[in-house]
Amino acid sequence: MKRYIILSILSLIILFGNFKFTLSSSFLQRIISLGPYITEEIYLLGAQDKLVGCTIYCQRPSEAQKKEKVGTVIQINIEKILTLKPDLVIATSLTQKKDIEKLKNLGIRVIKFSSPKNFFEICSQFLELGKILGKYGLAKKIVQEVKDKVLEIKRKTKNLAKVKVFVEVGTNPLFTITKDSFLNDFIEFSGGINIAKDAKTGIYSREAVLKENPDVIIIATMGIIADKEKIIWGKYKNLEAVKNNRIYIMDAYKLCSPTPVSFLETLEELVKILHK
Amino acid sequence: MRSKIIRWIIWVGILVGFLLIISIFSLFVGSTYIPFKKIISLIFTGKGSIEYSVLFDIRLPRILLGFAIGGALSLAGVILQGLFRNSLVEPYTLGISGGAALGVCLNIILQLDRNLGILSLPVCGFLGAVLIILILYSLSIKKGILKIQELLLMGVMLSFISSSLIMLIMSISRTEDLHGIVFWIMGSLEEPNWSLIKAIVSISLLGLVFSYLFCHALNALSLGEEEALHLGINVEITKRLLFILASLLTGFSVSIAGIIGFVGLAVPHFMRNLVGQDHRILLISSFLSGAGFLILCDTLARTIILPLELPVGVITGILGGSIFIYIISKKQIKL
Repeated sequence: MKRYIILSILSLIILFGNFKFTLSSSFLQRIISLGPYITEEIYLLGAQDKLVGCTIYCQRPSEAQKKEKVGTVIQINIEKILTLKPDLVIATSLTQKKDIEKLKNLGIRVIKFSSPKNFFEICSQFLELGKILGKYGLAKKIVQEVKDKVLEIKRKTKNLAKVKVFVEVGTNPLFTITKDSFLNDFIEFSGGINIAKDAKTGIYSREAVLKENPDVIIIATMGIIADKEKIIWGKYKNLEAVKNNRIYIMDAYKLCSPTPVSFLETLEELVKILHK
Repeated sequence: MRSKIIRWIIWVGILVGFLLIISIFSLFVGSTYIPFKKIISLIFTGKGSIEYSVLFDIRLPRILLGFAIGGALSLAGVILQGLFRNSLVEPYTLGISGGAALGVCLNIILQLDRNLGILSLPVCGFLGAVLIILILYSLSIKKGILKIQELLLMGVMLSFISSSLIMLIMSISRTEDLHGIVFWIMGSLEEPNWSLIKAIVSISLLGLVFSYLFCHALNALSLGEEEALHLGINVEITKRLLFILASLLTGFSVSIAGIIGFVGLAVPHFMRNLVGQDHRILLISSFLSGAGFLILCDTLARTIILPLELPVGVITGILGGSIFIYIISKKQIKL
């Protein structure tokens, strides 16, 4: 008897849960994304018809450029957002707190996605977005595929010789990535060692780079500065990376926009660079 | 004497008109087009509609905050310039803004705002400002006399120290916190909390009323401390109260709107040029025109490259600075 009661309660919960779930996602017909990678993920999930606005930085995929623009990633136009009558605004950790507060006061639902700290968080955020958009099944499928491939790569690179890597994402001051960034996973999954892994913040000294002597230096594009930086590193003839001519410039957009799919693409590219 | 008063009344009238026109203009422009005819019906019947919300929940609070902050900063500028008899002094010279910024930075990196709510930001900013005021005040009083020149020098130094400390905090803080600090320092008239807006409006108006208790004293001080003393002014008390008044006005403004440069420096100059040196008219006219100037700049900042918004400090600096240089080079005004 007890078992039946538990079972019926369970089924009720499931039923009710499902009901609530479909209800909430069918309510969400108008969504505004305040982050480029969130826009990209909405397109990946095929929910672009619900996207009524995004930032001017949302350039990928190219169709996103035609969507209504509500400001930049950091400075949003609240008036514009309000007149688009969104059911939900998806903010990022770059959105100003005062703006989020203001939107909430105006009766707009806001969800904040903090920038993911590792591959696992990229996936779980993607799944959450899938849930919100009523596309959980598709999100799960994409994540599973990507995870399988990522594991495959991890397995392959596991027994290869480790490569010491320095990733430069900013210059003046020299800025790199620590273990708090998903970029660190790129290096570790592809069989590298991030020399700045345990640094407290991203600010790093050239001296420390010389001491750690990385085998590979990767510069995220910062316009002309990237080429300049390449020349500057070239002057340190004792660096392994310079000796073997292994300084690479990579597209910052690819490197820093964390959707599961772009993560996999970039990872594959990185494996080629590190183990050629 | 009578003609002077009439002239002043005309000036105040003109400035109030100017302020009203700018406020109405600001209420009507923005990314959403709301036709003029519709507004009157909106005011009475439109409650709950999007347009009503745009006008009264988004545009109006910014106008009110612009009024309060612009007025308070200009008023503080006039008082300080009068007190120091130095036209280069502005509300931020004395390091009060630096103290406020430091308070906010500490709040952000200690993550107090996450635990105590967003209201803790202005509170910490204000505590930082008060701390700097207290340090300045106690260091500059020697043998019962407030040394004005030392106060100024010490203020400039405190401002350097706090900006270096801010840089120190920024260089060791996490990327996410860094953005919060940078935004705050850029300054903005966006404020979600209505009660804060009401509070700053009343503080700023109270400041104006209070400053009028000292209009004669300020006029006397412009001749020099000794001369003011001979004219029967209690110089010591006046100096202290004026310093505290200006500092508090600055502290409140900075802790709510961040650092919006230029208003407190340039507006008093303009007004001195237009209405004369007499503080009886200078105080009110600076307050009104500062308020109007900041509202205008904020309107430009949020409409000039729609749908993007610029930080208001960008506009106050570029617009105010270039007009200012133009006027100086044209008219050879006395600084």
